[in-house]
Amino acid sequence: MKNRFTRRTLLSLSAAGAALALTACGGNVGGGSADPAKFPNGPVTFTVGAAPGGSTDLIARALSEGLSDELGVAVPAVNKPGANGALATEEVAEMDPDGQNLVMLNASLFTITPLAVSEEEAVTFDDVDVLAGLSQDDYVMIASKKSGFASFDEVASSDEKLSYGTTGVGTGSQLAQELLLAQADVKGTTVPFDSGAPALTAVMGNQVQISTVQLGEAKPQIDAGTVEPLVIFSTERNEFLPDVPTAKELGYDVPVSQFRAVGVPKGLSAEAKSKLTEAIQGATETETYKEFNKNNLLTPHEISGEEVIKEWTALAEKYKSLTEENGISLVSGK
Amino acid sequence: MDFFAPVLDGFGTVMDPTNLLYCLVGVVIGMLVGVLPGLGPAATIAILLPLTYGIEPVTAIIMLAGIFYGAQYGGTITSVLLRLPGEASSVVTVFDGYVMAKQGRAGTALGIAAIGSFAGATVSIIGLTFLAPLVASFALDFGPPEYAALALLGILLVATISGASKIKAIIAAAVGLLLATVGRDIFTGAERFTFGNLSMADGIDFAPLAMGLFGIGEILYNLEDRHRAVSAPIKVKRVWPSGKDIKQAAPAMGRGSLLGFFLGILPGGGATISSLVSYAVEKKVAKDPSRFGKGAIEGVAGPETANNAAATSSFIPLLTLGIPANGTMAIIFGALLIQGITPGPQLIGNDPELFWGVVNSMYIGNILLLLMAIPLVGVFIRILRIRAAILAPITVLITMLGAYTIRNSIFDVFLVVVFGALGYVMKKFGFEPGPLVLAFVLGSLLESNLRRSLLVLEGDLGGFFTRPISASLLIVFVIVALWPMLKSFIDKRKTNTLAVQVETEKEKV
Repeated sequence: MKNRFTRRTLLSLSAAGAALALTACGGNVGGGSADPAKFPNGPVTFTVGAAPGGSTDLIARALSEGLSDELGVAVPAVNKPGANGALATEEVAEMDPDGQNLVMLNASLFTITPLAVSEEEAVTFDDVDVLAGLSQDDYVMIASKKSGFASFDEVASSDEKLSYGTTGVGTGSQLAQELLLAQADVKGTTVPFDSGAPALTAVMGNQVQISTVQLGEAKPQIDAGTVEPLVIFSTERNEFLPDVPTAKELGYDVPVSQFRAVGVPKGLSAEAKSKLTEAIQGATETETYKEFNKNNLLTPHEISGEEVIKEWTALAEKYKSLTEENGISLVSGK
Repeated sequence: MDFFAPVLDGFGTVMDPTNLLYCLVGVVIGMLVGVLPGLGPAATIAILLPLTYGIEPVTAIIMLAGIFYGAQYGGTITSVLLRLPGEASSVVTVFDGYVMAKQGRAGTALGIAAIGSFAGATVSIIGLTFLAPLVASFALDFGPPEYAALALLGILLVATISGASKIKAIIAAAVGLLLATVGRDIFTGAERFTFGNLSMADGIDFAPLAMGLFGIGEILYNLEDRHRAVSAPIKVKRVWPSGKDIKQAAPAMGRGSLLGFFLGILPGGGATISSLVSYAVEKKVAKDPSRFGKGAIEGVAGPETANNAAATSSFIPLLTLGIPANGTMAIIFGALLIQGITPGPQLIGNDPELFWGVVNSMYIGNILLLLMAIPLVGVFIRILRIRAAILAPITVLITMLGAYTIRNSIFDVFLVVVFGALGYVMKKFGFEPGPLVLAFVLGSLLESNLRRSLLVLEGDLGGFFTRPISASLLIVFVIVALWPMLKSFIDKRKTNTLAVQVETEKEKV
């Protein structure tokens, strides 16, 4: 019994010690923040609304390397996946606008997701401010080898019943494909998959004949000749796939791409904003980052935050009117 | 020998001291993160990715692969000792592994799991060396109807593997299926049971569910137990499995290796289904199936062998087709891209040094893993000597921390608490959490693939039977479903004839 008491005392003593140590630490941090004008004040967290490993995550990690060198503090990328990035964006939007928190923005969250979810749920530029645009990621329509299609015209004039895979509901893949099919007056079954990889695999195995996926995912298979590229949805020909016609060239109005930008909570001080914008610019100019873009088939689209807001807002309106004109809906009951 | 020259060169690559060192580092890190519930190999690899930028591609991938299969074994340790499955593929290990630990046979369970993991991985690597391009196409033949049939078979097995009452297992499985429907419908975008909460939009994550139901539920239950009788710390009798144990487990390992190798090739859920199927098979072939759930060594050996074999064979679609079979493979895919290498059909021809270097590093890595596991088993099982009053809060802390780190979300921590309470109530009323968790994992696989199949087949259910693989799977399903009825019928007839015989014998006398 006595033994037990001493042990307990020891435990509570060490607990008290730990608590003291923690308070001391807290005091330290508090002392540092006494100078709020100074930026950056400690590590800058870069929140990513996607799981580790996807292209959104890889871009954030590549950029945070350069940002860390530019700002002279650590810039950890923190994954907070959920609801196509809406969760992370809303969370960061509510933080203090001190520049210590950045968030990776996907254009689809602002331009396409609103077509698939209720209005309260959609993220708008009333919630966040944009620092800079980063890059463009294109969608490509591919056909299985077994189907024998070599161009979209062949698909459009085919009498066969065809299945079309997408990477999910409310994605650029779905929007681009639905718009193209509607404009070309092609009937087919749309089959949503969980993400890009299964949609691609399904085409390789001819489970569906056609799919629209992101270029970075499809490129290795296109190069290996296991799938056939038909159309790319960028407005101009893509430098990584120069022989594939754009939808625009074929006479269709489907300007769908994925763009990414860096966001911050509203109300950031001008000083912190200019420091961060410069740091982003510096990071995107490094050789490592340029090399990264090339290896991941991303077309740099490094524009200012104001331009991002203008472009994305215009795209959101464009997609809305296009879906209405063509009478398509991204959600059920079509 | 044109085939063997690059294979042997690959061994040369692995034997390079730098690569050996990184292989060891990877395996050690993997084992550590496997032990921490929640922090999985996928997140670890993503965090360590920037470290690989500066090193050679082969070296980088060797290390990342080491983390992956190291974590597979690490996860077993917590399943056996603390009843905390870190991944879906180690859920079934809990059934017998934890019971064995309570019986003082934790060392045997961990030892047999280490040997099984090694055996499964080795069989898979040999298969990977010789059959990779051949079996790769098998993954492509698996379309939505095949996945739907496979998931259906899996859910049926969930009900049959449960030890206690079959009705209770089915009820638990039904709850699991219901929980699997939470989240945004991936076909229509409609919200299902999310209550407007964005954190639920993507559904409930596996880890908080399993950690709550198994880990926290068990701790709560034991806490209650403590007031009734002071339970002494579990005595650890034996550290290493005996020759008899190994002999008993060997056939299970053989079957597990093959199952794991083939099912692991399938993208999505391959490892989980293989461990589940392996457990069901072991229970079916056992002379006395009632031992399962009460510390049957085959119940640990089979699934552990199968999930490691599956982990290894999941490299096949990545390296030969460029398809990542699971989340971790997707990150390794990303790591390769960063290095300027595109995994795909041309990899083996364009970059044989990388391909064979990675494949052969797995032989070495698994030997390293086994060598480390043997002395460490003794260290790990000491955990069980710690008094529950100290161990329980620490376990809870680690679990909460683990749940938080998956998505950096406090919501997931609340989920652990809620499922912990549910796990406790279930245990009190004699429900097993196993069927619930497994049905949860298979439920979303079944639903999405069934709906996808109906789209592809244009609503024609007959399509399931005209495709050879899905037809065979459905036939197996029917046999497994009807077997108990058939068996009891045969048994009845046997006893009847026996009774008649006895009667006639009596009459003769």
